[in-house]
Amino acid sequence: MKQENYISVKTFCQHHGVKESFVYSMYEFELLQIDDSKEEALLSTDELPILEKMVRLHKELDINPEGVQAVYHLLQQVEGLQEEVAALKRKLDRFDF
Amino acid sequence: MEFIDYYKVLGIDKSATADAIKKAYRKLARKYHPDLNPNDKEAELNFKKVNEANEVLSDPEKRKKYDQYGKDWQHADEFEKAKRASSQGRSRSSSGYTYSHAGGSEQDFSDFFESMFGGASSFGGRGQKVRFRGEDYHAKLQLSLMDVYATQKQTLTVNGKNIRLTIPAGIEDEQTIKVKGHGGPGIQGGPAGDLYITFSITNNTAFKRDGADLYKAVQIPLTKAVLGGEILVETLTGKVKLKVAPGTNNGTKVKLKGKGFPKYKKEGEFGDLFLTYTVDIPKNLTEEQKSLFEALEKTNLA
Repeated sequence: MKQENYISVKTFCQHHGVKESFVYSMYEFELLQIDDSKEEALLSTDELPILEKMVRLHKELDINPEGVQAVYHLLQQVEGLQEEVAALKRKLDRFDF
Repeated sequence: MEFIDYYKVLGIDKSATADAIKKAYRKLARKYHPDLNPNDKEAELNFKKVNEANEVLSDPEKRKKYDQYGKDWQHADEFEKAKRASSQGRSRSSSGYTYSHAGGSEQDFSDFFESMFGGASSFGGRGQKVRFRGEDYHAKLQLSLMDVYATQKQTLTVNGKNIRLTIPAGIEDEQTIKVKGHGGPGIQGGPAGDLYITFSITNNTAFKRDGADLYKAVQIPLTKAVLGGEILVETLTGKVKLKVAPGTNNGTKVKLKGKGFPKYKKEGEFGDLFLTYTVDIPKNLTEEQKSLFEALEKTNLA
């Protein structure tokens, strides 16, 4: 586990101007993983894109942690449906309509 | 260059108060926010429009100038004046909205805005704020179907940097792959962002594609459909000789196993090629052909 692939929750929160409690809520709602085996709670940099989106939802759109969980769930459904539609379109493409 | 009615964009009256503008803006920004409208180009465009309108109307100076000169902005001399005037710093954006798609290829501001207020002022709210992890880049790559028949390496130049990509065979149209760490640089020790490449695959072959399977209609002469025989069919890997059974109906499907398209991420595996025989009824018969058919008719051919 390379140290440079992890960022501490504390540092993340400092950079993004968000409370640590928010990140822990996301963890509690099982939207991301936190490694707390070391003294400092760490986040994998792989989780950053997702966490950044959650922070935007929270800070810019005033969505509370519970809302973020709901939005996240819906976004996954939307993106799944978009993929399904794209696959169906490709299938239909076979028939000259 | 077209005039943009910022009041109309925000759905407010020209006499709207700063509060009303803020409310209208926040409501629309929420509606079109890219995080809530994934993969929606129209929402993204509207988001930019709304942000631009707010940039102008929420700033008293800009609003005043816009109200005064707005409609007359087509006048050449105003345009020239603005071009010469350098952008007056300012622009601590009052929106603070960010989004993850910093494609960079489309302008953030309309021509109208830029001519009136100068070039891209530091519109802090626009684009992805780099707070630790670098920004993500989005690129589109156009390929033809045969380009992805075999796995190939390609060198792309993104933002001045060369990236050697391996494009797997069988990739689908509109499929997006993530190239980790090839986005913008991070700050304060943060990792680089990622590069997302969306493939646009044009099929200009005679085959229709559905995943790893290919489809083609093959015309066979009426006589061959009735009497049987051999035909030569083009596949992606060359011609194939096929036996047509006597009494083959129009619409009969034939499957050529493994003669389809490569399966994505399954090296060496191929889908199938499905042929549909079409039997055309002959027209413009010669006199001889016509009389032969009439003779057949007399034999009460079904």
